[in-house]
Amino acid sequence: MSTKENRTETARLDERRSFLIKTGIAGGVYASAGLLPLGSVSYAKSGGTLSMLIQPEVPTLASYMSTSMPVGQAASKVYDGLLEYNFDLSPRPCLAESYSISKDGKTITFKIRKGVTFHDGKPLTAEDARYSIMEVLAQIHPRGKGNFSLISSAEVPDSHTLVLKLSSPSPSMIMAFSGYESPILPKHLFAGTDIKNHPNANAPIGTGPFKFTEWKRGQFIRLDKNENYWSAGEPKIDRIVISTIPDSSTRSAVLEKGEAHIAGFGAVPYNDAARLAKLPSLEVTRQGYEMFSPIGELDFNTRVKPFDDKRVRQAISYAIDRKFIAENVWFGFARPATGPISSNFKASGLYTDQVKRYDVPDAMQRAEKLLDQAGYPKKAGGQRMEITLDVTPYGEEWQRFGEYVAQRLATLGIKATIRYEDVATWLKRTYTDFDFQVTANWLNTFADPVLGVHRLYHSEEIIPGTVFKNAARWSSPRTDQLMNLAKVEPDPKKRAAYYHEFQKILTEEVPVAWCVEILFPTVTSRKFKKSIDSAVGLAGNFRSTVS
Amino acid sequence: MLKKRLTYVLKRLFHAIPVVVGIALLNFLLVHLAPGNPADVLAGEAGSATPEYMAMLREQFGLDLPLYVRLLEYIGNLFTLDLGFSWRHNMPVFDLIVDRLGPTLLLMFSALLLSVGVGILLGLLAATQVGTWKDTLITVLGIVSYATPLFWVGLMFILVFSLKLDWLPATGMENIIMFYEGWDRVKDIALHLILPAATLSLFYLALYTRLMRASILEQFGSDYVVTARAKGVSENGIMFKHVLRNALLPVVTMAGFQVGAMLGGSVVVEAVFGWPGLGQLAFQTLFARDYNLLLGIFFLSSVLVVLINLGVDLIYTVLDPRIELG
Repeated sequence: MSTKENRTETARLDERRSFLIKTGIAGGVYASAGLLPLGSVSYAKSGGTLSMLIQPEVPTLASYMSTSMPVGQAASKVYDGLLEYNFDLSPRPCLAESYSISKDGKTITFKIRKGVTFHDGKPLTAEDARYSIMEVLAQIHPRGKGNFSLISSAEVPDSHTLVLKLSSPSPSMIMAFSGYESPILPKHLFAGTDIKNHPNANAPIGTGPFKFTEWKRGQFIRLDKNENYWSAGEPKIDRIVISTIPDSSTRSAVLEKGEAHIAGFGAVPYNDAARLAKLPSLEVTRQGYEMFSPIGELDFNTRVKPFDDKRVRQAISYAIDRKFIAENVWFGFARPATGPISSNFKASGLYTDQVKRYDVPDAMQRAEKLLDQAGYPKKAGGQRMEITLDVTPYGEEWQRFGEYVAQRLATLGIKATIRYEDVATWLKRTYTDFDFQVTANWLNTFADPVLGVHRLYHSEEIIPGTVFKNAARWSSPRTDQLMNLAKVEPDPKKRAAYYHEFQKILTEEVPVAWCVEILFPTVTSRKFKKSIDSAVGLAGNFRSTVS
Repeated sequence: MLKKRLTYVLKRLFHAIPVVVGIALLNFLLVHLAPGNPADVLAGEAGSATPEYMAMLREQFGLDLPLYVRLLEYIGNLFTLDLGFSWRHNMPVFDLIVDRLGPTLLLMFSALLLSVGVGILLGLLAATQVGTWKDTLITVLGIVSYATPLFWVGLMFILVFSLKLDWLPATGMENIIMFYEGWDRVKDIALHLILPAATLSLFYLALYTRLMRASILEQFGSDYVVTARAKGVSENGIMFKHVLRNALLPVVTMAGFQVGAMLGGSVVVEAVFGWPGLGQLAFQTLFARDYNLLLGIFFLSSVLVVLINLGVDLIYTVLDPRIELG
């Protein structure tokens, strides 16, 4: 997640400056936009080199032990996975030519592509895939345990077949084989070594379309074309150079100037993206985040007053005008959310909007009534209660969101004091000490509810000290049961029915007020096309990028 | 004389050891006072984590050991010049810092030279033309650049010289698409250096200009200037033979002090221009609670400041022979 960290680092600079920027720079940059000579000669020479901005700086290239988005965006060009995913989340072949799932859902068989070699010339076999999944990812990957815990054994009947035997069906598992989530490593370099401290951590050798060439810390990572890539005619560009610019205004300026060609996942501020989209040299897309499906929300601490009362939670959920914030806080790069499961799961049938809705015309009147019923009447001066509203430190927009929420609550007679802290402090407060009343937050719900949603509402996921779990500490036996059933149900129809009931219960109980489904903008130069061609977007392998 | 200077330097270096260790001790405690820990942040970046993964991180970072054990280990390692390992970057702290030190020093010393050099010249000009429009202009410009936030100046420079005029590159230390070599690379780096160095020096430039102006004016009121005039020394002679040297002392003192502050100022400038330096690394590291790396950067900075102060003291003796090495 990405963006999370990056945005914190620059958020502080951004904050102090935002006023000056808005008044001074913005005017200037906007004015200059139209005057720029597009595609000036000096840069046209660069031809087949794609300059990619990643924010924050990439700390390591060991994507087998970090899911941080900067790592994923860089390492995914070097390490391919068994599968890739279309925008509708349907799998398509990559290192696996094909796969099949047995009728009972307990056996997954991958046919590994023949003639694929690692960048050091050694051939790829099914054993490399087995080793990567069972001995690296399932052991040390941050999500590895969650993704692969149901695998009871992995077999390699011949050099290009991998058979995973599951202890029970796991319909979500097939979503976990992208090069970003589950990179396939060369066993001959990793086996028998200290994996957590490996020399190839920062000099990766994979099978991907680009080879790692050079890393000048703080300056650039250079990846060059893999001439022996398995897909004939790919990759189409010669080189990718990855760099970091900490200041968000400078990032936008550099994209505008054509010195960099692609950036996203929070690297481009929403307001700048809206402006850059109007330039003829640039293109802004919302696609490529389907695998992450981030939801922006308010997490209530359901174990403390006043949020132990669901009527108070409902009242606050009613108070949020989701359409307004999608357009004004996120500049259109968001859409209203209706519940815990993103509408990206409409195609798979898991999502439903037939739930208790909070975007009704008389929302504010309902909220007032609920607060009265809950025993928080307006006292003299029109005030009902005072609360503290925490704001997630992952980005500037959360402060604006916090200010919006505080204003709306004020009209209900709730005085909210906004508290803004840095990442480490906020994480400790929210996920270790549970020392908050309500906090603005955003979470990736990933490619299946099992991966991204269960962790937020299951009673077994109330684990102090582990981040991005059930911070609201709300659970019920029935929702626990529904999640347990859906986790192992191979029949999509039955599965959808479980999740529909789950969504209905949750929207009634509102342990979390779901506000927006975030659609990050990705800005790309029109000189390069087809970079964003899968559901992991910028964390894809860019094999089809063409200039 | 040379021998005396050498023993002085060695003595000062020896005295510096307890100072640096004391700073390291304080840093260690301060860094650990901040709420949260690197395991939280690292798992936070991952966007999700299992309890097993968190436990693995805590063990790897040594967070399961009591604080005093970690402190003793850290100080012990310092004496062997081992700065530890950054798990976040999967690299030894020393290597990480050395990679970044070059660009920071390049930026810092360019800015220092620029601000001291031009500051002295402008101060000189203002002092000799005191009360005229030139003096007023220099003073006003000084105040304006002193009061303007660095990041804003930086962004304005980018806007004007890079976006609009297209004379200079906007960010980075070199062109990462062309991969120049040899003299082309030197030229490329120099071009990239102009905007950040100018931005960083602007604030200090104003300071030195004002200091130099005041200092010269003060010296001109001294008895030795009257004496020199009485002897019939020309005004230029008085200025360059007598006044200038004396007037430089406070500027040099200030420059010595400011080097530490410049490290801080370079964080902002590095952020705006994407300059791959230490300031940027320190800023990220603080929020990531990467203890080892953060302490390493602090340690190196304190060593740097101690060394520069020593250098300043040596420059004193050159400028003013009356000051003796004790």
